[in-house]
Amino acid sequence: MSQEAIVMENLCKDFKVLNRHEGLKGSIRDLFSRDYKTISAVKDVTVTVNRGEIVGYLGPNGAGKSTTIKMMTGVLEPTSGKILVNGLVPYKDRTKNCENIGVVFGQRSQLWWSLPLIESFKLLRDLYMVPQKDYEEMIELYRSLVDIEPVLHKTVRQMSLGQRTLSDILAAFLHNPGIVFLDEPTIGLDVSMKSKIRDLILGLNREKKTTVILTTHDMGDVDALCKRIIIIDKGRRIYDNDIEHLKSYFGSYRTLRVRLDNKDEWEETLIDEKTTDVMTVITEYQKSHKVKDIQLQEISTEEVIKKLYEGGTK
Amino acid sequence: MTIRKYIALMRAGIMESLHFRLGTAVTLFANLIYLVLVYFLWKAVYASSGVDVVNGMTFNDTMIYLILATALFNFLEMFVVWDMSRSIQSGKIILDLLKPMSFRTYTFWSYSGSHVAQFVLAFIPTFIVVMIVTKGAIPMGLNLLWFLISVVFALVVNFSIEILVATICLYTESTWGVNIVKETIVLVLSGASIPLAFFPDSIRTVISWLPFRAIYDIPLQVLLEKGGSDTWLGLAKMYGMQLGWCVILYIAGILFWNHAVKRITVNGG
Repeated sequence: MSQEAIVMENLCKDFKVLNRHEGLKGSIRDLFSRDYKTISAVKDVTVTVNRGEIVGYLGPNGAGKSTTIKMMTGVLEPTSGKILVNGLVPYKDRTKNCENIGVVFGQRSQLWWSLPLIESFKLLRDLYMVPQKDYEEMIELYRSLVDIEPVLHKTVRQMSLGQRTLSDILAAFLHNPGIVFLDEPTIGLDVSMKSKIRDLILGLNREKKTTVILTTHDMGDVDALCKRIIIIDKGRRIYDNDIEHLKSYFGSYRTLRVRLDNKDEWEETLIDEKTTDVMTVITEYQKSHKVKDIQLQEISTEEVIKKLYEGGTK
Repeated sequence: MTIRKYIALMRAGIMESLHFRLGTAVTLFANLIYLVLVYFLWKAVYASSGVDVVNGMTFNDTMIYLILATALFNFLEMFVVWDMSRSIQSGKIILDLLKPMSFRTYTFWSYSGSHVAQFVLAFIPTFIVVMIVTKGAIPMGLNLLWFLISVVFALVVNFSIEILVATICLYTESTWGVNIVKETIVLVLSGASIPLAFFPDSIRTVISWLPFRAIYDIPLQVLLEKGGSDTWLGLAKMYGMQLGWCVILYIAGILFWNHAVKRITVNGG
């Protein structure tokens, strides 16, 4: 088996959409209109993901994340470029590709609504032709990672959103796929459930060496799970590197917070360490004030991402 | 063995339909009301005609035919079109497309469980009631076995029509109208609401070559040993008709569906 789980080279996807006109007259005109315009959802994306990686796939709404995921799962056919998932061309071998991937869409469930979870598991076991032994091992692994007893015999419609998401993630990993796509898995969950789900994903990735592609808008997920992130905006890849690098993407910013004299409030200064030294600033403060307390803060992932989305490339 | 996948889907389908046991009771009740209506309607038809036998069918024949047709309808009824349009709108269809088998196979076997459950819960009780009320007007012999085989064909034909219509809906992006047209055509031309014997000769000739007859009329003829199905040749003709349409609709469905999926994968959902 090759080292790469996913290879995408110069991947592009265009959509043809009808130019809609305004008003009733416009709507009638649209009935006969052949006036299409082409929208490029994904432009020239080149990404390689190795086996066992957890990659955060980020981008603002409408950046082309879902389109890329759909191409990787084989639901969409790329307009041009090369794509290989587990060595297969997904849109040509969709059924075969599906055997080796798992998906979780935070908003929808693939489980059987009116059946207890255990029945959904058994059904998926048979659908993916998982040998009984592997299946039992997987359930054992689940037991060791999370407390599944309370949900195992509950029907899916009686579950809370958190339990349902948890179940959906377990279901996606059940046939031990090479790659699992998680699309906003923690959306709408409370803090403790979020951390439970993050631990679960980490645990499964560690035990089964599953490649995980995670799209999310929650930077907490990214910080907790991903070593590497890929950011796309307007269909283009704008960042692909370690999460550590991201923090220095706009220069090495740090926030210095000082409490001066006898005042209670903090004074904040944003320092670019490439141009100024933190020590100089502190000395500067000391010249005119008595410094009571000092804090130094790293810039958060969320702030960098926000800057990236808003400012585009530097 | 691949069969394991299909059995698992069927099993889940049975369990799911048993889960909604109240729904089954409501269906039976609705049938009762419908049948009372049918009873008085045809009683009036026979009374006004002034003869006992209309188009070769007595009042009893007609009633048995229609009651069984209704029972068969409950059991063959599918909601592929509705379900599909709903799952397209909600985007859930992507999860069905990502199952490790073709969408068509997946859908067929997902529904198969509810067919089995409905057959036991709706058709068999109705059949028994008809037997008791008519004191054994339905012949009991090999025809029961032939009937079962013919019902399986009917199921496949019905499913193929559903999938074809569902595929049309992918293009039209509206479901309601197309589906109502389909339902009406199927109900009228298949013999589910009026026995085919009541149509004028010329129309009947046309209908007899259409696929809709294969869904309700043929299984019922086989069960009641009518229309020549009590001879080997007649039976073979009916099976041939069903099988022929199975193959034609299957191929048409696959070609059409592949074309539609191509369109989706090229142009997005």
